Amino acid sequence: MGTSHIRRVLVIGLDCATPQFVFGPQDFDLPHLRALMNAGCWGPLRSCHPPITVPAWAAMTSGKDPGALGFYGFRNRKDHSYDALFTANATAVREKRVWDILSRAGKKVAVLGVPQTYPPKPVNGWLVSGFLAPESATDFTYPKALKQELDAALGRYIIDVKDFRTEDKDGLIERIFALMHNRFDAARHLMDGKPWDFFMLVEMGMDRLHHALWRFCDPRHPQFEPGNPYENIFRDFYQAVDERIGDLVSRVGDDTAVLVVSDHGAKPMVGGICVNQWLMQEGLLALHNAPDKQTRIEDCRIDWAKTKAWSTGGYYARIFINVQGREPEGVVRPEDYEAFRDDLVRRIEAMPDHEGRPLGSKAHKPRDLYRKVNGVAPDLIVYFGDLNWRSVGSVGYNSIYTFENDTGPDDANHDHHGIFIMDNRSGQKGVQLEGLNLMDVAPTILGLLGVETPPDMQGRPIT
Amino acid sequence: MRQGLSLRLTGEQAADTAKVLGARLIELGKNVEQIDADALEHLGNTVAAACACALLARNGVIVIASCEGVEPEGARMDVAIDPNDTPDFAAEKILDQLAERGLVDLESTDYSPEEEEQIRQRLADLGYIE
Repeated sequence: MGTSHIRRVLVIGLDCATPQFVFGPQDFDLPHLRALMNAGCWGPLRSCHPPITVPAWAAMTSGKDPGALGFYGFRNRKDHSYDALFTANATAVREKRVWDILSRAGKKVAVLGVPQTYPPKPVNGWLVSGFLAPESATDFTYPKALKQELDAALGRYIIDVKDFRTEDKDGLIERIFALMHNRFDAARHLMDGKPWDFFMLVEMGMDRLHHALWRFCDPRHPQFEPGNPYENIFRDFYQAVDERIGDLVSRVGDDTAVLVVSDHGAKPMVGGICVNQWLMQEGLLALHNAPDKQTRIEDCRIDWAKTKAWSTGGYYARIFINVQGREPEGVVRPEDYEAFRDDLVRRIEAMPDHEGRPLGSKAHKPRDLYRKVNGVAPDLIVYFGDLNWRSVGSVGYNSIYTFENDTGPDDANHDHHGIFIMDNRSGQKGVQLEGLNLMDVAPTILGLLGVETPPDMQGRPIT
Repeated sequence: MRQGLSLRLTGEQAADTAKVLGARLIELGKNVEQIDADALEHLGNTVAAACACALLARNGVIVIASCEGVEPEGARMDVAIDPNDTPDFAAEKILDQLAERGLVDLESTDYSPEEEEQIRQRLADLGYIE
C-alpha cells in the first residue's frame, strides 16, 4: 500500500524529545507513540549545527541548513561591529517554510507554537506564534482574531513557562505540565474547528523539563541522587504527552499521515567551560578592567586593540575573530586569518577537562558545515566535550571550569539527535530507519501532500 | 524616480484584496492609487481608467486596478486571486511577487526595544544565551 490515499498531514513537534526515552534503552512505556512506530517507520533524527531550537525548527521546516538561512542561534550579529545583535524571530526567516509552500499550493494549514513564527505572517489558514512572542504582544496570531478565540476556548493561551530559573521544582513542574496541556488543548480546538490539510504544533515542555530536572532523573548525571522525589518525573511527563498524542491521533482518519518529530535531543550537562576566561588565559582576549566577580562579557570593556578573539556563551560557543578591515578595531591581519583560526581549532580541541583527561571538544568552521554561509556567521562553532559541557561566556571565574551555571540551575545540554516517527498509513509495520536528517522532514511532508519540493531544499523525502 | 506598476486584480476577492494590499503598500512607504468601481465611475469608462493607470504607473505609482475590463498598457502585473485565499493572504502573495521584482522591500516590523529586552531576558533565563 502506497501513500496515494494521504490527504492530510499532522506533525506533532516535541522540542527536545530524546531518542533514549522514546526508542530505548530507557523507553518509558509510551503506548501511543509505540503504536505509531509499529504502524510506520521511526529512527533518530540528526539535528543541524548547532542543535538548538533556533535554528533547528527553521531548518526542519524549510529544508535548509542554518548557513542558507543566515542565522546560527537565537542572537546573531547584524554586522561586523561589536555590539549590533538581532534576535532571530520570524522576520529573520527569509526562506519559505513548508506551510508557506503548502499555502501557495492552495492547501489549508494550521501552525501552532512553532518557534520563529513571531511576528505572525499570513498563511492560508491559521497560525499561532511560538515562544519568541513577547508576553505583552497583543498580536501573535494570524488572523488576529484567533487570539481572542483561543483565549475564550482555553481561558488563556500560554506562550511559555514563566520563572524557569527557580529552585521551586514543584511549582515549575506544575507550570510545565500546564504549558503542555494548554498547547494540546489549543491543538484540539483548532483541529476540530478548522478545515486543514497540514497541521503542525510544537510542544515546548519537554525542553523546559530536561533543562530544569535532568539531574533528578538520570543516574549518569554527576549530581543524581537515588530516591529523590523527582526521579520519575521525565517518565510521568512523557506518558502525559503520549496520552495527549493518542487523543490527537484518534481525531484523524486513515487519510492522515502522522509525524512526531523533535529538533534535537538532550544529555546530562557535566559543567561549563568559561570560554572567554580561557581566551584571556591564552592571551587572545584582553579587558580594560578585569572584573572581580562573575560578569557577562557584554558588560565588560574589551580592549579591542589587544584582542584577537572573543566568544558568546550558551549551549555551544560562538567564537569570533577580530579581523583587520572587517571588525572596527580588528587586529588579526586577513592574510593571517586562516592560520590563526587553525591554531585556535587545535588549541580548543586539545583542551583537557578539569581532571586533565581529554575533553573531546570540536571546533567547526562554518564553511565545513554548510553549503553556503549567509549573514554574519561565527568564525568557529564549538561544542565542548561533545556537548557534555556548556559554554559560559561570563568572566570573573577562578578557573575555566565551572559547575555552577551563570544563569541559574540547568542540568542538561542539547544532543545531536532528536526523534522521527511517521505513520504514513502505508503499512510499513515498524521499520527502523537510520541516517535521517532534520532537513528531510519538509520534503517528506510535501511529498505526502503531492506538492513539488523546491529544488533548493537540501533534504530528501523519507519513505 | 521609483518604478511604478499597474496591478490588475481579478477574481471574486479582487476588491477586498485590493484594499488590504493598498494598506500594506502604504505601510511599506509606497505611493498607491486604487482604480476600483468608484474610480471607474468617476473616470467614465474602462479606456479612461486604463489610461489613468498607465500615466500613474509611469510616474512611480503602484496602481491597483480591481474592476473588470481595465487593461492598462505599460508596466503591468496581472493577478488572478485564488478564491480559497483570504484577502490578507492573497495580498501577502502579491507582496512576495513585488519583492521578487524589486518593487518593494519586505523588511517586517520587529520588536520594540522593550520587547527585545523582554525576549533577551527570557532567552537568558532559559539558558539559550547569557
